Amino acid sequence: MLVIKDLVKNYGKFRAVDNLSLEIEKGQIYGFVGANGAGKTTTLKIIAGLLKPTSGEVIVGGMNIRENPIAYKRKIGYMPDFFGVYDDLKVTEYMNFYSGIYGIKKEERDKICDELLELVNLRDKKNSYVDELSRGMKQRLCLARSLIHNPELLILDEPASGLDPKARVEMKEVLKELGNMGKTIIISSHILPELAELCTAIGIIDKGKKVISGTVEKIMSQMYSNRIIRIKVLDKKEALEKFLKEQPSVLSIKVHNDYIDAEFEGTKEVMAHMLKSAINQDIPVISFYEVERNLESVFMNLVGRGEEKNAN
Amino acid sequence: MQINPVIEKELKTKMRGWRAPALITAYLGFLFFVVFIYFLIYQENRRYGSQVLIPEIVVSLYNTIAFIQLLLILFITPIITGGAISSERERQTLDLLLCTDFSALKIIIGKIFVSIAHIMLLVTASFPILGIVFLYGGVRIWDVILLFIFYIIIAVMTASIGVFYSTVFKKSIVSIVMTYLTLGFFIVGTAIALLIYSELILDYLYRLNWYDIMFFLTPNPFYGFGIVIEDTLTDYGLLDLFVEAAIYRGGVPVITALGANSIFNIALSICLIMLSARRLRRLK
Repeated sequence: MLVIKDLVKNYGKFRAVDNLSLEIEKGQIYGFVGANGAGKTTTLKIIAGLLKPTSGEVIVGGMNIRENPIAYKRKIGYMPDFFGVYDDLKVTEYMNFYSGIYGIKKEERDKICDELLELVNLRDKKNSYVDELSRGMKQRLCLARSLIHNPELLILDEPASGLDPKARVEMKEVLKELGNMGKTIIISSHILPELAELCTAIGIIDKGKKVISGTVEKIMSQMYSNRIIRIKVLDKKEALEKFLKEQPSVLSIKVHNDYIDAEFEGTKEVMAHMLKSAINQDIPVISFYEVERNLESVFMNLVGRGEEKNAN
Repeated sequence: MQINPVIEKELKTKMRGWRAPALITAYLGFLFFVVFIYFLIYQENRRYGSQVLIPEIVVSLYNTIAFIQLLLILFITPIITGGAISSERERQTLDLLLCTDFSALKIIIGKIFVSIAHIMLLVTASFPILGIVFLYGGVRIWDVILLFIFYIIIAVMTASIGVFYSTVFKKSIVSIVMTYLTLGFFIVGTAIALLIYSELILDYLYRLNWYDIMFFLTPNPFYGFGIVIEDTLTDYGLLDLFVEAAIYRGGVPVITALGANSIFNIALSICLIMLSARRLRRLK
């Protein structure tokens, strides 16, 4: 559906996007992750046809913007990280305006607008002025607008930014619904747990470069082939340290103030046996659990570590 | 055929609320005040025995209202159009328009049309006041039609300048100031250039040829206005230089001078509209 080949964008001497290549399959919800200034918005704006790349190309549905800009733009729906609404219009007028912009016939507009307002839970607000809507409602209205011409690819730049938890949940529900409808979506966000829950694939970008890309499971297994077991003891921390070093399934240990993290390779049975042995050796274990790996830890591992290195 | 959605939306929002009716009322009130003053002066003259011919007073009134309307177009249009694109940028709605398949030219034309429609509404609303002159004679219907066409051309030209600057500058206020400066150059700059040319190069104003005048004053809206009201002139007043220049034919028919002025305005408008659309379309 979306192919990005060797994309480069320079602002003067600053390189915002550096040889980025990506491929997103039809029906995929792709999470685009990166720190502030990593090049996410620039990449999304290039895909949306709002910025010209310095080099490289973007192909949506087999179409290049340079060859056929009108057909290309009909394939995409773009929602920026700001509202961009006309406050002096009513919700239906706002939707009708963009229907007109996309050349949708007048007789079809009402039906399309009603369906989209229903989808984003704003049907009861159709006669309200945009100005009267809450931040979350405005964001959902923007989403409805970006869907008005039934685009094949939906580009969402930080759709949940600045929203309160309730509005974020509502937005997530709408996006899930769109995913169920088979829409291809590329979505950038800082709220990584939500992204992991929502996306079928993710890509991490840092300083304009792709760091990693793939399905969430694939990235997790690629990043963490081994488990981390966190063990807390009442006392005898040294004894635990010695015990862990003797275990063949423990590859390495990291001693913290309150606990010890052990990098573990083995089955759950081996893990259970190890706990039993520790207790048998009179080590006062008060907690023993596997540390859950999430997108946030992947991100911090890949990007945070890089920042630390640079700082040093 | 589908109406340009930019026009549809802007007309709807601009006419909504109290501002538009208040503006029309204030403007018509002002014109009525001008008419009242004219007839008051006439009344005073009669009291002191002066038998001023009514048509002359009325034609002079017609010229005054026509001039006020020209000033209105030149002052108000930059304010409306200066923010045409920059206000979309300020509201962060420009990207939403540009990522659609809607053409940049249609956006520009829509913006210009709306600003002209707004101004022309004021001009048209004042026609009944202008119609008072027909009670007394001295002005033909053709004079009014010609004046209206001239207004439209000037409004399009002014709006094109405003919209063009609006695509260049990020802030509306900068676009408005630049539009005023450009109009100031066309009105005052060209007149000063003509005077300098006649005084320094030719030594004397009346040595000017018609082509000298046309060369310098063709871009000048007041020159065009002078030609348009030439048939209804009673005295020159404020527009002395321009009206004298306009009626200084020296072998060139008035229609040629008006034609040159109009062609300049239309050509400038087309160039600026195309440039604005190009600027809007151009990816950063």
